[in-house]
Amino acid sequence: MSDLLNRFMRFRRGPWENLATLVIAAGVLMLMQPLSLTLYTWSFATMLAGTVMFVIVSKFPE
Amino acid sequence: MTMASTEEGTLRRITAPARTRRIRGLSDKAIAWAFIAPTMVLLLAINIFPLIWTIYLSFTNYQANRPNRPITYVGTKWYRDILGSPDVWAAMQATAHFVFWTILLQTLIGFGLAYLIDRKFRGHAFWTTIILVPMMLSPAVVGNFWKFLYQPQIGLFNSIVSFFTGIEPSSFEMLGSVNLSPWSIIIVDTWMWTPYVMLICLAGLRSIPDYIYEAAEVDRASLWRQFWSITLPMALPFIMLAVLFRGIENFKMFDMVNLLTGGGPGSTTEVASITLKREAFEKWRTGYSSAFAIILFVAVFGLANIYVKALNRVKQR
Amino acid sequence: MSQALTTAHSVVAPSPLSKRIAGAIVILYALVSMIPLAWILMTGFKTPPDSIAYPPKIVFAPSLEGYCNLFTTRTRQTQEYIQSLGPPQTICDEITRKRDMVIAGPSNYVPRFWNSLVIAFGSTFFAVSLGVLSAYAFSRFRIPLADDLLFFILSTRMMPPIAVAIPIYLMYRKLGLSDTALGMILLYTAVNVSLAVWLLKGFIDEIPREYEEAAMIDGYTRLHAFFKVVLPQAATGIAATAIFCLIFAWNEYAFAVLLTSGEAQTAPPFIPTIIGEGGMDWPAVGAGTTLFLVPLLVFTVLLRKHLLRGITFGAVRK
Repeated sequence: MSDLLNRFMRFRRGPWENLATLVIAAGVLMLMQPLSLTLYTWSFATMLAGTVMFVIVSKFPE
Repeated sequence: MTMASTEEGTLRRITAPARTRRIRGLSDKAIAWAFIAPTMVLLLAINIFPLIWTIYLSFTNYQANRPNRPITYVGTKWYRDILGSPDVWAAMQATAHFVFWTILLQTLIGFGLAYLIDRKFRGHAFWTTIILVPMMLSPAVVGNFWKFLYQPQIGLFNSIVSFFTGIEPSSFEMLGSVNLSPWSIIIVDTWMWTPYVMLICLAGLRSIPDYIYEAAEVDRASLWRQFWSITLPMALPFIMLAVLFRGIENFKMFDMVNLLTGGGPGSTTEVASITLKREAFEKWRTGYSSAFAIILFVAVFGLANIYVKALNRVKQR
Repeated sequence: MSQALTTAHSVVAPSPLSKRIAGAIVILYALVSMIPLAWILMTGFKTPPDSIAYPPKIVFAPSLEGYCNLFTTRTRQTQEYIQSLGPPQTICDEITRKRDMVIAGPSNYVPRFWNSLVIAFGSTFFAVSLGVLSAYAFSRFRIPLADDLLFFILSTRMMPPIAVAIPIYLMYRKLGLSDTALGMILLYTAVNVSLAVWLLKGFIDEIPREYEEAAMIDGYTRLHAFFKVVLPQAATGIAATAIFCLIFAWNEYAFAVLLTSGEAQTAPPFIPTIIGEGGMDWPAVGAGTTLFLVPLLVFTVLLRKHLLRGITFGAVRK
């Protein structure tokens, strides 16, 4: 667990980019899922956050 | 003949420095920017400026068919409307249904075909080219013709189904029935784009070096195990690439659906792009549709980021 | 070693039987996927009653009526009037008169087809010209934020066309570019230039830098080396890229249907509007579709070696 935390704290591109990818994917799933209107409502914010995050973390060193 | 051309070559070698010394001075940096600038200017004018305009419009009540009405700010009203609307949510689910099934079918059939073509039977290059033809064709023009194939009674599709199943060809309507129309667009899209997935999967299978299989053979790994522990994992980045691209493309699918069902019957096949077109160019709610466009844009932009990541992964191979 | 050969496994050296089965399945799929296209071709040569016969006719007497209807507009006339005319001049005259109609004039198909040609070739020319310059710069020079610029260029191609069409529609209305060939050429150039940059960058990356460097040691400037050395070397890549751009512009429908309606309308939004008396004139649609698709078949054959590159933005090269 602390190992995982460590990997993120070093601000390397790899793990952060994967996290951003997950957030974007989650946002798109929320947008199209048929289960909950609340999830749908928050999908845009999630996708936007994921995309902004992706753009930022792609500037981190490899 | 040879003499003349070599002579010309030497001649050019001698004159070149004299001729070009005059225009030396353009540094590499200047050339780089001069070469990139026209593309950037065009993209800024045709893509970025309109995008910024769309963002601005999405906060106003502007209507394109009433250009003289004063524009008022409405804040995030449209975004809240769209993200709280069960109708738009239903359109997103229609899109999801379409995207999910087309990708599933295309991946299964496409990968299967690629796996078979990779056996390199005689004539495989020719038949691969034949299979690729549908994806080169205009989705709109061909989609329009599928409307004819789907006609009850006179259409070829119903007749073929009836030939194999014995169901009366006039007893079902692919385009007119609420249950079948979502499948009518899935069938056409699968027919059209399975070759795309097949081609990328084929590249993936061909990128697996033979020595890996030879090593597996030495280890006496069964074919089944070879497939699950070598073929599939090594082709996976390619499959992901195809899935992502088809996913993005079908998420914004417009032309084929617009011509085939136009979103109908009712709104059963009203995918996101059709909703957007209705709001923007039929109801002329420009502000509302701008906000919807931005939502779709963010989704596609996010997915495009992932796509480029997948692209680079494949490139490194 | 000899043992390895006899027990050769299926992927490195598939057994003859598995090859034959694989071949049979693939060929079956190919044939089935050709049925709709064969039907388009056949429908073009049917008469309207044959085209809507039940059950669908596989064997029929070929007729040129579809092609005649595609290229002409017709009006219904009385028998007396038709008999008062001289003998039919063309085969289309003859076919039309059998249906109690006379040819009133040419249809819009030829002008729409021409628009498609002009817009497709125009936008391809500009996209490839701009693309090759940018691709060269991205390939050879260190450009700050090159990855971001390349991603930005690619992302513009991925935008949903309808989302882009809203502001473009407003912008073109202000600039007087709506329903003009120039407007469509600009738009398609912008969409295609992204593909052109990515594809051509891949092709130019493959040309060894030493070629230009040698030329520059010989006294060529960078510009000269680009035109005299790089461009000829990249000729195949440029041709392949051009065909990809042509295919996109030729097939495009969403922008065309929203932004053009008359003068500059291309063939894809026009073909679905071909109607006869009492519904769609399917033979004419079949004929129009056939003619529209023929160039694409030619392109497919020309491009088959480069297709993979084209559909993966140059990332997968074989």
